[in-house]
Amino acid sequence: MAHSMNVNVSVETPAESIIQEINYDGQEIYQPPLSMSENLTRLAQKIDFSKPIIDEVKSEPNDGEKIEESIQETPLNNASVNLPFEAIAAKIRNAATEICVLVDVLNIAREKNYMVLDPVPQEPPETKPMAHIYSRKKALFQAGSMLTSAAERLRTTQSETNRSRSNADFHIELLRLRQNWRLKKVSNSIIGDLSYRTAGSKFPQTGMFEVTKADDDDVTNTNGNVSPAQSSTVTPNPQQSALRVTIPTELQGVAYIMVLCQKDDERLFNTSINLLSSPAAPSNPDMHWQQKLEAAQNVLFCKELFNQLAKEAVQLQAPIPHMVIGNQITATVLPNIQLVIGLCHSSGNEITKQSNNSNLTNKTTPQKSNHDHVLEHSLHQLLREVHHKNTHHPFPHPSSGPLGPSTKRYLAGPNAADRYELLSLTKNSTLLEQIIEQAQHFFMRIRAEQVLDTIAKQIKDPIIISHWNSLNSPTQSSVRVTIISHGFDFMCRTSLLVHVLQKSFRCICKDGKIMNLSYECEELRNLILCQIYHHQMVGIQNIAKSMGWQLLASTPYLGIGNVEPLGNASSSILASPLGDRLIAIRCEPQGKVHVSIAHSPRKDFFSGQLVKERKWENLGGPFKEVRWDKMEGKNFLNKMELLMASLTSSS
Amino acid sequence: MESKEWLHPQAIGSSMDSLGAALKSNIIPNKEYLLQGSIMDSSVEVLLHRLRGLCDNVDTGAETFYDQEMCFSIRGSSSSSSMPQLLYLRVRRALDSTMPQEMPCQLRYTGEPELGTGDKARPTIVRSSVDVAVTPSILEYLTELGARIEFEYVARGYMFRKGRMKITVSKIFKVSREGQGSRPEDLVSQSYLVEMSVLAPSGQDAIGEDMKAFAEQLKPLVHLDKIDYKRLPHTIP
Repeated sequence: MAHSMNVNVSVETPAESIIQEINYDGQEIYQPPLSMSENLTRLAQKIDFSKPIIDEVKSEPNDGEKIEESIQETPLNNASVNLPFEAIAAKIRNAATEICVLVDVLNIAREKNYMVLDPVPQEPPETKPMAHIYSRKKALFQAGSMLTSAAERLRTTQSETNRSRSNADFHIELLRLRQNWRLKKVSNSIIGDLSYRTAGSKFPQTGMFEVTKADDDDVTNTNGNVSPAQSSTVTPNPQQSALRVTIPTELQGVAYIMVLCQKDDERLFNTSINLLSSPAAPSNPDMHWQQKLEAAQNVLFCKELFNQLAKEAVQLQAPIPHMVIGNQITATVLPNIQLVIGLCHSSGNEITKQSNNSNLTNKTTPQKSNHDHVLEHSLHQLLREVHHKNTHHPFPHPSSGPLGPSTKRYLAGPNAADRYELLSLTKNSTLLEQIIEQAQHFFMRIRAEQVLDTIAKQIKDPIIISHWNSLNSPTQSSVRVTIISHGFDFMCRTSLLVHVLQKSFRCICKDGKIMNLSYECEELRNLILCQIYHHQMVGIQNIAKSMGWQLLASTPYLGIGNVEPLGNASSSILASPLGDRLIAIRCEPQGKVHVSIAHSPRKDFFSGQLVKERKWENLGGPFKEVRWDKMEGKNFLNKMELLMASLTSSS
Repeated sequence: MESKEWLHPQAIGSSMDSLGAALKSNIIPNKEYLLQGSIMDSSVEVLLHRLRGLCDNVDTGAETFYDQEMCFSIRGSSSSSSMPQLLYLRVRRALDSTMPQEMPCQLRYTGEPELGTGDKARPTIVRSSVDVAVTPSILEYLTELGARIEFEYVARGYMFRKGRMKITVSKIFKVSREGQGSRPEDLVSQSYLVEMSVLAPSGQDAIGEDMKAFAEQLKPLVHLDKIDYKRLPHTIP
């Protein structure tokens, strides 16, 4: 028979998973195998804590009889022992039993009714004093060594910081420097800028300085004379800092602008001034970097200022041309008065002398007191204003307008400004012109003060009071001059306002007259004198009114008598209330007064051949002059008052 | 002296010559380089602080402005083309001037942004812009010419400058007809418009680079970019 010896044997693994469901089409759905935690849960659920423990007590009885029973029972026990966690459950049950027993014992012992805990007396341990001491010593030694090691560590760190403080100091100093000055790092070095570029200056000279670390060998050099025993720990000088700044040579030292106003008594070429006869204190190299940088910045500012002034002095055309010689500009302010502006720069140890064409016999050294600090400050302010204008351009309103043109230019278009207005917009006065104006005004003010003070000192009869206005500008001031007589200030007061301008005076009198005077002091003096005698006349008239006397005639410009060198004499004629006395006063601008009195009915009337009737005695007698210096009275008006009082007859 | 100049005919002719020469030599600033961006109200304080530090004149602080702008359109005469060209003109005046005399209004023409060969590479919008200062009677004048008001708005904000660049941070309001003062519903949006512009003659492209570099410094707060108006989604009311 041709049976195939091959038998198809199919080998299948037994199904591990339980079949949950079989679909109609034969597909089997397996239950997914249990995960590890599910398996553990299943096993743990089989533990039954309520079953009694099958312990070894049962193996105690005699082995003969019970061995068989135990053997018979062991298959049963084996089945239960094969459950997992049975050993663990048994041990837990044992532990629970033991603990319950212990708790019961402790509770009973606590009540002390049935059981008492009693300590067992023990032998005292042997004391070995030496071992005790040795152990203590060892412990202390260990503690001591730990403390000393800690102290050592602290000391080493402190010495580290002492040595490296220069490093920490350097960074802190650099931070301070950075807060005050602009620095930037270029490859390896730190470069700073001390010029006024960002503030609006357009000066081509740069103000760059370099910042370096102050080296340690410099420190030991300065402390070289310290005894070697002390040089082990070199503490840095408190004035020295860890930074060093290197300033370009042309900016080193201290500079300032010297402004002098002097009378030009000598010839023009003889104005040789040794500007640095009294230089500033030489800068010590150990100066703090802040002061060094500030001094260098000041030097740069002064250089820019002088440069600007020198350029303008050359370009401007003045009636008397300005001179620029070396570091000095000479400009004529008023006739015979010159303004000298010089740049004084003392750099470091060396003092650069600027004496040019010096006249050895007559070398005028400027005193420090002549230097005008106010004008120097004004110069600084003017240059700062120029800087400010360079940066602060006005913003356009509305905002869509172009930046740049000034407000006047914006308005020039719609307001139809003509060519001249536009040209005047472009003109602005230069620094030199402005400072010359200020110097001129300064002199005018001094002159006005001198004139008023001299007059006030010389003339005591009417009192002259001058009140200077506290608000003024560098080019204009004003003073109010009041003339009163002592004791009669309610009666009569003359005041005038004097505006002191750059090159002239303008006087505004109470009656509205405006007089423009030139820069000569004599004109102002003459005007004040004329006002004084005018005051006297007005005073007399006011007194006469109050005393009841009549003013018969008054002439401010008298054409008779001597010709006055200054102004005109004025006169008044007063009559007494009863009409029997007459007073004639003639006032001269130089201050002299002539007073004459007359009796109206003549005392010395004698009827003669020509004049027969008595009535002609009423024409009035001749005037007799009063000796005014012998007259009683404190001042002129007082004397007049007393005279009028004495002449007033009561009948 | 003055009358001689006034009657001199050469004075008038020379001004035309100088104007022609100026136009030829390319010194009249008639191009505007522009970058725009916006920032939310909540962050504008930070931006203002930043601009105060970066821009010129730190000590004086920010300059405020309050302007009203009106846009007019004039229909040009249709000579050859079929469609008449519309010309847009803007009149801007300051409402906050403290000076005794009123600042003049600005009449402004802005053209289309320039499309050149290197347009993608150009960092900023470049458009021709002509500014003229005029008296307030410009409104009547334009109305007489036949211009119609397209829209108007009020802008209030701060102005900064850095060198030649002008940076404005402003808030746009609708013009309230009834009374003065802007009520909350007059706000157009809850953000500020940031613009950076330079007026310069044409051909100076280095300005665009400078503007872009400065815009980089404002980067995380506000992105200043050139905005293509044609690509913006246009909602027709």
